Amino acid sequence: MNEPNTPPLIPQRADAPAGQTQTPQLTVNPEDDIPIPNAVAAIESILRQPRRILCQLRQAGAGRLILRMVLVAAVCSLVYGGVIGTFAGGTQLWSAPVKCVAGLLLSGLICLPSLYIFACLSGSQARLVEVAGLVAGLGMLMTILWIGFAPVAWVFSQSTESVVAMGALHLAFLLVTIYFGLRLLNAGFSAHKDRSGGIKVWMIIFLLVTMQMTTALRPWLGQADTLLPAEKKFFISHWLDCLKQSHESGSNEKNSASR
Amino acid sequence: MQVRQFPVLLGGDPDALKDWAADWQMSRVFVCVSVIFAGAGLYGAAMGYWRSPVQAGYNLVKFPIIILATSLGNALINGMLAPLLGLNLRFRQSLMLVLLSFTIASAILGSFAPIVLFIIWNTPSLAGQTEISWGTYNFVQLIQVVIIAFAGMAANLRLFRLLQVLSGGHRVARKVVGAWLAGNLFLGSQLCWILRPLIGSPGLPVEFLRPNAFQGNFYETVFRAIGQLLAS
Repeated sequence: MNEPNTPPLIPQRADAPAGQTQTPQLTVNPEDDIPIPNAVAAIESILRQPRRILCQLRQAGAGRLILRMVLVAAVCSLVYGGVIGTFAGGTQLWSAPVKCVAGLLLSGLICLPSLYIFACLSGSQARLVEVAGLVAGLGMLMTILWIGFAPVAWVFSQSTESVVAMGALHLAFLLVTIYFGLRLLNAGFSAHKDRSGGIKVWMIIFLLVTMQMTTALRPWLGQADTLLPAEKKFFISHWLDCLKQSHESGSNEKNSASR
Repeated sequence: MQVRQFPVLLGGDPDALKDWAADWQMSRVFVCVSVIFAGAGLYGAAMGYWRSPVQAGYNLVKFPIIILATSLGNALINGMLAPLLGLNLRFRQSLMLVLLSFTIASAILGSFAPIVLFIIWNTPSLAGQTEISWGTYNFVQLIQVVIIAFAGMAANLRLFRLLQVLSGGHRVARKVVGAWLAGNLFLGSQLCWILRPLIGSPGLPVEFLRPNAFQGNFYETVFRAIGQLLAS
């Protein structure tokens, strides 16, 4: 019998051997156990062997891997931000890259605590460092894909003057990269036997935070007197305002042309 | 790659082509680029000949540039999407596969160049006409759409079969070819827009690039046209 002050034992799943806590098995391929020595190997792994990243996050030295992933994400964001800045030029050439890095890091940091809590609520045994690693991996994968999209974005930024069209293009790229990033995160948590769907809820939260970040750190494409917005807006209302403005300016152009 | 290997390329035999994709050889890349320049260039020239011989000369350069710029512009994202969608290709392999499919399309287009030239030879020429013949212009446009669509489908079908062998299933191959196709169409349309005119509108002068080449984009124009159509 338990002593009076000892908490009762946590019941174990029937398929787990008695006296052992269940640890999720990630390693299927022996190559997944090979440490990731540098940033290039981390990029290669997240694209081709995501299980290797997930496996390494459970090993000693995961902190170094997380740092590398954050650095890669920051550098890639700077590059893609530069491409965003080429649309308007001027101050946007430096402010867009800075905002890109800041937006990504802030979104990750804002959402990290809730992810850890959701993971725990879902019965996951992932440690905070693993959860942080998954968020870093999500950011790294997103930004690597941004680099892939950068030439396409550049071609469009040089050939259009429509802020709405460019905004829609960058938004589409952002959504595609978020999809792949969240898929990686989901794969990471599926190994931790998340069954309650809490991670799915968190994914929606992350998506909303990222979308709002694009509005909170505007302007990205146009020119403005201030680096950050003076007016606070919800992202959907900001998009609707942009569409309305674009439609009005289009109508004005048409009217002046017909006069 | 030699001329006698052409039937293998055009036939799209996956077992033979997967070795080509696996093994990056500069000589093969050079041949692919040459075929793209020859095939797409000749087809472009035939297409532009209806408007004027000068337009044909411009297209000889512009059409292959569009194809190569599309392959290179999307090379990074295509190389990243393949492993993410379940096909573990190296960057060079994915570039080679896309290049091979564009080579097949260009070879088909090149083979159609004499036919297009013959059709254009038989359509009323712009020279010596007092009125702009929009009907003929639309007919020439339609012919180009049909032939380019056929070449594109044939090339992508071969690419799909090859990806199927490489991935070992049609599900992954379908996803990869779908993603590549979407990206290539997206960028390719915009590059065609920037490098317009290709056929040459009868009401506008013959030019290498329009003065407003870098103003507006293909999709804005399409949306505006749809908006105007609905408003009228």
